Amino acid sequence: MVKEELVQRSPLRILEKSIQGGLGAGNLGIIASRKGVGKTACLVHIATDSLLQGKHVIHVSFSSRTDHIISWYEDIYREIAATRELEDAMEVHDSLVRNRVVMNFSQRGIEAEQLIQSLRAMIVHGGFAADVIMVDGYDFALGSPESLEALKSFAQEVGLSIWFSATLHREQPQVDENGVPVILAPYMDCVSVLITLEPAPEHVKLRLVKEHDRYVHEDLSLVLDSRTLLIADPAQLDSK
Amino acid sequence: MEARIQKMRNIGISAHIDSGKTTLSERILFYCQRIHAIHEVRGKDGVGATMDSMELERERGITIQSASTNVTWKDHVINVIDTPGHVDFTIEVERALRVLDGAILVLDSVGGVQSQTLTVNRQLGRYNVPFIAFVNKCDRTGANPVRVRDQIEEKLGHNAVLLQLPIGLEDKFVGVVDLISMKAQYYEGDFGEIIRETEIPAELAQQAEQYRETLLDAASMFSDELAEAYLEGEVQPQQVIDAVRAGTLSRQLVPVYMGSAYKNKGVQALLDGVVRYLPNPAELTYTALDLNNDEEPVDLTPESTAPTVALAFKLEEGQYGQLTYMRVYQGSIKKGMELYNSRARKKVKIGRLIRMHADTTTDINEAPAGDIVAIFGIDCASGDTFVDPSLNYSMTSMYVPNPVISLAVKAKDKSAEDNMGKALNRFTKEDPTFRSFVDPESNETIIQGMGELHLEVYIERMKREYRADVETGMPQVAYREAISARAEFDYTHKKQTGGSGQFARVAGFIEPLDEGDYEFVDSIKGGVIPNEYIPSCDKGFRTAMQKGTVIGFPIVGVRVAINDGATHPVDSSDMAFQAAALGAFRQTYAKTKPVILEPIMKVSVEGPTEYQGSIFGSLNQRRGIILASSEDGSFSTVEAEVPLSEMFGYATVLRSLSQGKAEFSMEFLKYGRVPQSVAEELIKKYQESKNKESK
Ligand SMILES: Nc1nc2c(ncn2[C@@H]2O[C@H](COP(=O)(O)OP(=O)(O)OP(=O)(O)O)[C@@H](O)[C@H]2O)c(=O)[nH]1
Ligand SMILES: [Mg+2]
Repeated sequence: MVKEELVQRSPLRILEKSIQGGLGAGNLGIIASRKGVGKTACLVHIATDSLLQGKHVIHVSFSSRTDHIISWYEDIYREIAATRELEDAMEVHDSLVRNRVVMNFSQRGIEAEQLIQSLRAMIVHGGFAADVIMVDGYDFALGSPESLEALKSFAQEVGLSIWFSATLHREQPQVDENGVPVILAPYMDCVSVLITLEPAPEHVKLRLVKEHDRYVHEDLSLVLDSRTLLIADPAQLDSK
Repeated sequence: MEARIQKMRNIGISAHIDSGKTTLSERILFYCQRIHAIHEVRGKDGVGATMDSMELERERGITIQSASTNVTWKDHVINVIDTPGHVDFTIEVERALRVLDGAILVLDSVGGVQSQTLTVNRQLGRYNVPFIAFVNKCDRTGANPVRVRDQIEEKLGHNAVLLQLPIGLEDKFVGVVDLISMKAQYYEGDFGEIIRETEIPAELAQQAEQYRETLLDAASMFSDELAEAYLEGEVQPQQVIDAVRAGTLSRQLVPVYMGSAYKNKGVQALLDGVVRYLPNPAELTYTALDLNNDEEPVDLTPESTAPTVALAFKLEEGQYGQLTYMRVYQGSIKKGMELYNSRARKKVKIGRLIRMHADTTTDINEAPAGDIVAIFGIDCASGDTFVDPSLNYSMTSMYVPNPVISLAVKAKDKSAEDNMGKALNRFTKEDPTFRSFVDPESNETIIQGMGELHLEVYIERMKREYRADVETGMPQVAYREAISARAEFDYTHKKQTGGSGQFARVAGFIEPLDEGDYEFVDSIKGGVIPNEYIPSCDKGFRTAMQKGTVIGFPIVGVRVAINDGATHPVDSSDMAFQAAALGAFRQTYAKTKPVILEPIMKVSVEGPTEYQGSIFGSLNQRRGIILASSEDGSFSTVEAEVPLSEMFGYATVLRSLSQGKAEFSMEFLKYGRVPQSVAEELIKKYQESKNKESK
């Protein structure tokens, strides 16, 4: 399969259809779940899909080692390239590496201002024209709606979209009247898309809670394949 | 086991640049009473540290060559090798670790695990060297030894345990709590030579208990005796020591010490640690290859009465002539004895045997198994194995990285030219990562090495030590040519000049090879090329690989297969087939769509976060790919892949954009394809220089 076809046939197109064509520049999206369900896998798959479309991605993380994140990307890429029998996989890989950068921050409760400053340094001085930013592990319990607001204006200014992962703790399973986990509720004004991951017997299910101006409660008919950790169309999984 | 060998240690001190290895070595010499006054690296007294004995090292305040010294600590004899931190001199670390039994990995209490720490960690792993960690510079602002321990675990992947806790930090750092004896140790007196031991200060008591538990938990894994005693609540210090030792020797545990070499704190405890936890030469198994028996590995016995096996790991032109450093693995080396160099297949007689102390020496008569000594006046190459004449062993080889940059050098006059020849001859023998040759086309002398600093040091040494004043060209990187497509060939070499002629025909194909430089496949059927000429074809292709026609650099990644050909009963010869192969390759090369490859370096830049914009920018301008950046408060590290050709002069650029506060290191990563625009530029330059020559 060539790269273009692979992109076209990606299950992420299903996601895009459900959210009016995508997250869109200047917008923020959240993928929320309990710990260990597969948020990072989702982010990395979405990022890799963008990379395959020739977009530039910054992956922001708060772990201790950048090489772990890089191996996430390598693994997911290898998986996609292998299952879809991607042509010129080596060369495509090299071009992806050029368009991807990991920015790691050691402290969790980092101020939005500092984050923006560093992102700006990368985009402006580093000449890295980011289209998408993945923020894996932003602490919504410590953060404030103002910080997210600031990140949103940054996204609008530079013309990029930002995906966050949000961890829901065991003690906060409650949702508000819109189906939004309470810990995320204060942030919803500036969040365009919210997806939750729900463990199900076989594969983790993706559920759409908010898309742009609407609260919905829609089973995206997408799952996180428990074997490959890729977002997948369950219909296709079964047919195999 | 011989009693003498039990009290012997051979250790190296390795770390990232400027972590304080030489400063620490100076203290070791002082506390072991090898020297009677401490001199600092770049100290105000202008003397310079003992181990940095070369004039150039003292001027620049960096270690260039590893230096060996022999000290005695609590009736243990320790051979200490201080190694350079700069990656250009990495071969010095490599060969030191090759022959050492243990090491001290020094870390900066602020910087923690840095880029060169990762390199050294890899080298330690390569030779299976057990080591202990020393978190130095606890007096610095921002010192955090506990966090450095975390990094050893997270970034180096070692199970690290603190044996101590700091008492005070930064400018209030005065001593350590020993978590085994559960005592506080204060280093006092003008040179930290007085150790005052007291009860643990009340405010640290709880923390000490907690970390001691962590230590006991970790150590219990290596000793049932300790585990049992721990359960019963009756732990003896010796049980902990034995357990930590077992863990360290098996490389499953890294004990972490801390201190400040500069402020003379914590070094004596570290020396105790060397004796306690690092192996004596008899505790490790070393093997050699028996050249008389198909290179079968043989275990060596570290006994002085066994037949001798020793490895020459380093050569050096000392004040008194050529010195060869040797590690004795089996048997002993005695003055006057005869040994056999298994590579050169030559016998040599051992004249003077000496022990080294940085820049001074003592004559000795014998070096027992396990020891490290130097020998005067034998001719050999670094890496040669010396054995008892009854044996024919070779120690397995050492990892030698390939040089990546080169420079043309030209002597200023005739006498300088003679001296330059001598100097190059010497340097290339001493240092396997430094090479020199004469380019047959331009007739220029080219030197090759690991980096700008590496070559700069040798040019400076030529001037100082050999009075060879030379002019240098621009540094150039070691490009490679490679093919990107398969192509067939069918070539006939025919010459008829008077008497006997030359005839050979070869046919087959050339295709890209993913791994390795060159592969030759013989698919000739029915003897159309007689067997005796197959090696001639191989040789001809190899000759072709040495110099590509795109920009005149070696060609790599090629598989050549021959599947057809023809001979002439009279006119075919070895020469004819070599010529045919060469001709076939040259004719077909263009059809294989050759590309130019350049060395890509893994670059790591560290500095205050406020400069990261400029750092990103500087890497971006150099065709760099930024892979990752890590911010840790006000300090950040950027990792990138940058073509070496773009990195010349980067040190100066970085210094000025960060007011000297950022530093970088780099090492060879891979060869990568040169972008089209750059390739065109290189080809143009090559054509111009060729035209100039032919005029
Ligand atoms: N504050 C502080 N400075 C130190 C300490 N130890 C060494 N230094 C300083 O750090 C600088 C580098 O020290 P060296 O001992 O030359 O470091 P090195 O690791 O041998 O350096 P290379 O061999 O060039 O890699 C010198 O200026 C030392 O004075 C320490 O414990 N505390
Ligand atoms: Mg040094």
